[in-house]
Amino acid sequence: SPTGDSWGIFTFLCAALCNLPALPALNCSEELGAGQSIQQTYDLTRYLEHQLRTLAGTYLNYLGPPFNEPDFNPPRLARAERVPSATVDLDLWRGLTDNARLAANYRAYSRLLCYLRVLDGQVGTAELRHRLAHFCASLQGLVLSIGGVMSSLGYPLPAGPAAPPAGPPGAPAAPNDFLKKMDDFWLLKELQTWLWRSAKDFNRLKKKVPPAVVTLRLEARGF
Amino acid sequence: PAADPAVISPQDPTLLIGSSLVATCTVSPDFPLKAEDLYWTLNGRRLPAASYATLGPSTLSVALAHLNGSRQQSGDNLVCHSRDGGILAGSCLYVGLPPEKPVNITCWSKNMKDLTCKWAPGTEGETFLHTNYTLKYKRRWYGQDNTCQEYHTAGTYSCHIPKDLALFTPYEIWVEASNRLGVAVSDVVMLDILDVVTTDPPSDVHVSRVGDLEDQLSVRWSSPPALKDFLFQAKYQIQYRVEDSSEWKVVDDVGNQTSCRLAGLRPGTVYFVQVRCNPFSIYGSKKAGIWSDWSNPTAASTPRSERAAGGCDPKGGEQNTTLRRELKQFFGWVKKHAYGCSNLGIKLYDQWRVWLQKSHKTRNQVGKEP
Repeated sequence: SPTGDSWGIFTFLCAALCNLPALPALNCSEELGAGQSIQQTYDLTRYLEHQLRTLAGTYLNYLGPPFNEPDFNPPRLARAERVPSATVDLDLWRGLTDNARLAANYRAYSRLLCYLRVLDGQVGTAELRHRLAHFCASLQGLVLSIGGVMSSLGYPLPAGPAAPPAGPPGAPAAPNDFLKKMDDFWLLKELQTWLWRSAKDFNRLKKKVPPAVVTLRLEARGF
Repeated sequence: PAADPAVISPQDPTLLIGSSLVATCTVSPDFPLKAEDLYWTLNGRRLPAASYATLGPSTLSVALAHLNGSRQQSGDNLVCHSRDGGILAGSCLYVGLPPEKPVNITCWSKNMKDLTCKWAPGTEGETFLHTNYTLKYKRRWYGQDNTCQEYHTAGTYSCHIPKDLALFTPYEIWVEASNRLGVAVSDVVMLDILDVVTTDPPSDVHVSRVGDLEDQLSVRWSSPPALKDFLFQAKYQIQYRVEDSSEWKVVDDVGNQTSCRLAGLRPGTVYFVQVRCNPFSIYGSKKAGIWSDWSNPTAASTPRSERAAGGCDPKGGEQNTTLRRELKQFFGWVKKHAYGCSNLGIKLYDQWRVWLQKSHKTRNQVGKEP
């Protein structure tokens, strides 16, 4: 009978749900511990790194030689300084607090996302535009993910506009097409370096913030 | 901010294929480099020193002749280097041809609600430089030009106009192609939306066997939903092929019915069948519209022939095969020259076939009797 079948399905679903391991976690008001978010953010940086390899390959081919040559290393001109640099003194990096470490990542990717979006509006081929749009969406996801980790650990998000309108004031757009190509090259290089660095940042954070510890912290605050 | 190490002139020029160029690299006074410390590369390849000329203590020129079209649309990279390979300055060369008039503009309207147009670029040569295409349209005796906004909906060279289209009025449509070297405008195409109407393919296409008949399949479908909304009649076309062949057979004379019987098929074979629709007599005009896409292929198989195993009764079988073939041909002819999918012709044929099979069965049984 139809009603009998519905009851059967309902009972089965209940049993299935009750057996899900995630269910106990739902007792906390935070569904995922910060530890799990950190792991997800780490995974996202690895995924983006992989995506970037294809995007950069396509984009550098569009710029043409020598930009797509493996040993290409042009001077980093003054105007390229507007892109936040990932390279930092090792001792300085080790000594970063969790908050500072996360904030540096958050700020960097927000800025990089902004510049990438400007790029998206200018490139010629449909294939490139498509790849760039896809990458920007993923990068946006990373920014949100980092923000999520910061919130779950109780840190405030970095102040100031996450997305400066059209480049920071005082740094004009490249005055000629060749210099713009160099800027684009450095943008991609910096993105690559940041993704390498973030993997290390989040690995470090993973060790310092295991899931169990976070849950206790949350309960103590009466969440 | 620090000065650039050097300046190239001309900076980012646009040139015609085959033209020549003399470029100069002048080192900034802040830098301790002389003309003899410099060299040029184009797209990563070092240019021969024979083409250089020293124009001043810190100015080196290079002569480029008979330039080919740009290697990439972002421009060829002409770079001035210092002796150790460092980059001092660069200039992007855009070498190509002005666009030619886009051609072959064809448009179609889905259910009189929108208009999609596609075109072809004038020449192959339009890939050296980035070429922008703009589709424009206006109603024939009303001044205002409109620009199409949604591009690449039906391929690279296409555009879609989603709304605000008037019926019963001619439109002028054209495409403008522009790149760094110039603009080209296509010829104007004039059309009335009602003349280029197409619709969705028929839905719910079902193909089934006709009882035990080995060489027939029955095809049934629903008219596209838009048919109800506005005043057009529909005519249909069927195409079918054997599973492992790429040759489609087309049935043209289906008329406006929503069913048809395919005959003369191979027994025990899988067939793929598709149907498409043409809206005609829109608002009473005699003109045909544009054929819709084919429906998704539907598959069905004809029943397997009982005699497929081969001759249990070779002599009798042969006789019947020849007779049957002739009869089939005759009825096929009748079918064609009478009315395509006329029920009358088919029914007669069916009855004949059923009778034929029954009579063959009895003949076989007779043969088997000890």
